[in-house]
Amino acid sequence: MSNVAGVAPPRAARAVLGRPSWFRSARAIVHLSIVRTLTPVLLLTMVGLVILPMLFALVFASRGYLSGDPVPFLVERYDQLVAAFATPVIALLLSTSAFSAESDDGTLLYLVTTTTPRWWIVFVRVVFAMVGTAAASAVAVFGTGLIATGLHDPEHITRAFGIASAFGGAAYASLFTLLALLTRRALVSGLLYVVFWEGVLSSTFPALHYVSVRQWMLAVANALTDATDTRLADGPSLTVSLVGAGLIAVLAVVAGARQLSEPRMSRIGT
Amino acid sequence: MTSSPGTSTSTSTSTSTSTSTSTSTSTSTSTSTSTSTSTSTSTSTSTNTSAAPATDVPLVFDRVSHWYGDVVAVNDISCTVTAGITGLLGPNGAGKSTLLQLAAGVLSPSNGAVRVFGESPVDRPDVYRQVALVPEREALPGMMKARAFVAARAELLGVRNASEAVTRALTIVEMDTVADRRIDTFSKGMKQRVKLAAALVHDPSLVLLDEPFNGLDPRQRLHMMRLLEERVAEGTAVLLSSHILEEIANVASNILVVLAGRLAATGDYRTLRRLMTDRPHTVRLRSSADRLLAAALMQESSVLGVEVDNSGVIVRATDYSALSLAIAPVAQRIGCTLYEVQVTDESLEHVFAYLVAR
Repeated sequence: MSNVAGVAPPRAARAVLGRPSWFRSARAIVHLSIVRTLTPVLLLTMVGLVILPMLFALVFASRGYLSGDPVPFLVERYDQLVAAFATPVIALLLSTSAFSAESDDGTLLYLVTTTTPRWWIVFVRVVFAMVGTAAASAVAVFGTGLIATGLHDPEHITRAFGIASAFGGAAYASLFTLLALLTRRALVSGLLYVVFWEGVLSSTFPALHYVSVRQWMLAVANALTDATDTRLADGPSLTVSLVGAGLIAVLAVVAGARQLSEPRMSRIGT
Repeated sequence: MTSSPGTSTSTSTSTSTSTSTSTSTSTSTSTSTSTSTSTSTSTSTSTNTSAAPATDVPLVFDRVSHWYGDVVAVNDISCTVTAGITGLLGPNGAGKSTLLQLAAGVLSPSNGAVRVFGESPVDRPDVYRQVALVPEREALPGMMKARAFVAARAELLGVRNASEAVTRALTIVEMDTVADRRIDTFSKGMKQRVKLAAALVHDPSLVLLDEPFNGLDPRQRLHMMRLLEERVAEGTAVLLSSHILEEIANVASNILVVLAGRLAATGDYRTLRRLMTDRPHTVRLRSSADRLLAAALMQESSVLGVEVDNSGVIVRATDYSALSLAIAPVAQRIGCTLYEVQVTDESLEHVFAYLVAR
């Protein structure tokens, strides 16, 4: 529209600024997380991890190995395939994808040059990864339980591991979110941690049970099931597990927020 | 290094601090020149590098250094960015992007202090109410739609009238009609404009732009320059790094030249050129009697040499002021008519080339 000569154009409206809304900022952070995280490759990997214990259950069930007491089978699969493998790897993928990608291409700048508190950004990212991990792990746990025992849940083992995997997902998500902010190779570092620390060392050396998320998950499952299994009984106490996970979550948010105040980014200019 | 929002050039590594406009060179001749020039330029540029933070000054670098490991990226830079467009020039690796990141609080200085509206921007998210940084890299979340991306920024910045602000920001960068397309379908220039919309969505008072003209076609560049000038008219301070000197020359009222992490010069580039007394000034003249004029000008003490070719007389002089005062009387004395007097090496490109070549 042309202006009439001599008449000043109306001054454009200005943005009205306030404190970012908790809900709206969380929604924006989750939106940014989803577009950076849920790529087809990652989704396919997650599907593979989720169906792996179910495939084991199908194979065992089809051969009639589960006709007796399915609890030892379930405890072993839940421990080895869910607590030590599917849950940490899913948490690793969901926790590191967004921050790592943003750090690598410099788009983290668009997140940190805002008035949203940094601790809130990290917290929302942890919750996003935690919820995703818990949901995917729950599908793996309940799917496997369904195949092995039908709707019957002997000694509440499936329910116990369903809750334990949500708990473990929170701990893993906190740990890996912090890792994504601290290191340039978060995915590789996280995989090494999962394979060697959680997969080999924590189950080999009893002293490491106190600092293993996998063992904390077993402790939570042990507290919620009536089953008696040496795998479950050997873990640390429930208190140690809850305190350990809580400390990791707080550390991730506090240290992650500090890290975001001067974020590690690849070069964003020349 | 001279701390100087005013016009200055510096070729020394002096650690003294001065708030006056000056030229620091090793010769007494140039020192006297700088002294005389400083009087004329200091009135046109603001000077504020005092220790007390001024809350109305958009950006102050106070003896700022930053190093990455053993590499010094920014070395003892002091200057002030006031309202208007300030061009940040320097070759690749000079430290321009580091300087912009320091200004945005994304990096903290290894030494010295950065103040944005009187306060340090480091670890202070509230500063982003007033500051926006547009990085050089074109990376954006490609799976998002442009409108959703700008809206996410608005929400994270606490813009109350977010929907209206997003539409306005997208409209001023002429992206409103394609804002519902995914970003990865955009050209480089379109991504550049989305970045700008995301930066302007909350109407910041200080805009830091790192190579904003990259990928833009000439019409879009003109549009962006006009847009920046409109923001400046509303009181916004813009610090703009660019390799495209012509654009900087067109829009920037002030320039900062960074070389190897140091502030080599700051001020109006034409004034800077005149301060470069070690570089002869070149003036092209066309007249009714070129050879006669060339011979007469050679008598002037400020003239180093003359050259006559098809385009006229090329005069090289040490003292620009003396030459400009001498041309007309000389022409009058020998009875020739001057058709054209043109300074040929006073463009920003020449100034930049001279500074880089030092």
